[in-house]
Amino acid sequence: MVSLLKMPETLSQQLPRQMNRPTGESQENAVHVRDVDFAYGNHQVLHDVNLEIPPRAVTAFIGPSGCGKTTLLRCINRMNDLIDGARITRGSILLDNTDIHASGVDVVDLRRRVGMVFQKSNPFPKSIYDNIAYGLRIAGVTKRSRIDEAVEKSLRASALWDEVKDRLDVSAFGLSGGQQQRLCIARALAVEPDVVLMDEPCSALDPIATAKIEELIHQLKRQYTMVIVTHNMQQAGRCSDLTAFFYLGRLIEFGSTAKIFSNPTERKTEDYITGRFG
Amino acid sequence: MIAPKHILGTFDEALASLRDNVLMMSSLTERSLDRAIKGLFDRDDDLCANAIADDEEIDQLEKQIDKDGVDILLRFQPVASDLRRVVSAMKLSSNLERMADQGTNIARRARKLNQHPPLSEVELIKPMYEHAMSMFKDSVDAYVREDVDLGRALIPRDTKLDELNRVAGRKLIQRMAEDPEQLRGYLNLIFVSRCLERVGDHATNIAEDAVYAAAAEDIRHQPSIAAR
Repeated sequence: MVSLLKMPETLSQQLPRQMNRPTGESQENAVHVRDVDFAYGNHQVLHDVNLEIPPRAVTAFIGPSGCGKTTLLRCINRMNDLIDGARITRGSILLDNTDIHASGVDVVDLRRRVGMVFQKSNPFPKSIYDNIAYGLRIAGVTKRSRIDEAVEKSLRASALWDEVKDRLDVSAFGLSGGQQQRLCIARALAVEPDVVLMDEPCSALDPIATAKIEELIHQLKRQYTMVIVTHNMQQAGRCSDLTAFFYLGRLIEFGSTAKIFSNPTERKTEDYITGRFG
Repeated sequence: MIAPKHILGTFDEALASLRDNVLMMSSLTERSLDRAIKGLFDRDDDLCANAIADDEEIDQLEKQIDKDGVDILLRFQPVASDLRRVVSAMKLSSNLERMADQGTNIARRARKLNQHPPLSEVELIKPMYEHAMSMFKDSVDAYVREDVDLGRALIPRDTKLDELNRVAGRKLIQRMAEDPEQLRGYLNLIFVSRCLERVGDHATNIAEDAVYAAAAEDIRHQPSIAAR
């Protein structure tokens, strides 16, 4: 079991562990959300959320705008810490059974372990190569061969390598929207995360780019704990193994995607996914 | 509980139109079977001809329902109960079309029988017809009212129809041996009996689809339900 409390390993030490990650039924890298209330100042936006996100599977968060799904996603890597007055007021979030808010948890290391891809692609104003290498350099990796290896591995994992291998030194802004989003995924993968969070990763992409990202999600789930927020019901149906439906800050229903989209237990879920409210 | 309307009004309209066509097809199928069997009992060739003519309209409705169903799948990508309603409507139309084919077959056999002196054994067909039609009406009712209990209760009723068919078949074969002059007539009645037995099978299929549409439960091929 990996503890967040210990000193971060160097990335060069972590790589072999990552490559040899077991593919069995181990619960390593599972995320447990326990009794979570969350508020922005006095405005409570999550109420008593309980959720067990399994490893090596895709969990989709769905629900109407303002239901709290993105807020919960951002809680998982403590991204909300950056917002004044935003805090978990009750409950806890555990990664590998360690509370991510426990004293001694290194937030930087947490965010390395829990990578995030945003709605709008946000490459740095740097070359393709440097975008990927950025996280590694920040983490103290200086050996060029190690960085080269990680850049290629990440770009291959994000299905971008063949499209950019001959122009790694050109600006990332020269890539198409779909390529930029895959570059951001590659950037998240480069630091060898355990969990990948995606906040509407395809909302600004055309159907072809969307299909590529969805195929990528399917490939990545073999290795990572994946959580995706989406407003696209068909995408949730296609990509995810589990679906959590949120409404007004509460988790209404959580179960297998097949069950949620064929015969949900809760009337609210049914009404939302069939387009009767939202 | 009545589901609230969809935000997308055109989706509601498309689903309602699909359902209306299924109900229309069901009414026409019932009428066709009714005309065919009356043509047999009343020895009325005109009714038989009408039953056969009904089939054309029913075939067209089957194609329309399939087309509309595919169109809904394409345009609205329904899920959950909406998806089940579309899938069930398409399966229902297929069963209704095959039921109507049985009506046509009965009408054709009746026309042949009407060319010869009446056979008293036609009485064997009456209880079968009543049972088959009662199953048919209840199966459509189960679909329309989304009545899971009615749909589930219908499955074992097919056993009685199967038994009536076996009894009629045995008696008619016996009469063929006793009265070879009327062999063709008895053979035609055996075919009519078999057609009604098939109507019961299709009614069972419709009831299963009704249960699936209402409760997302697949009760096909479950001997424990059929044996009740």
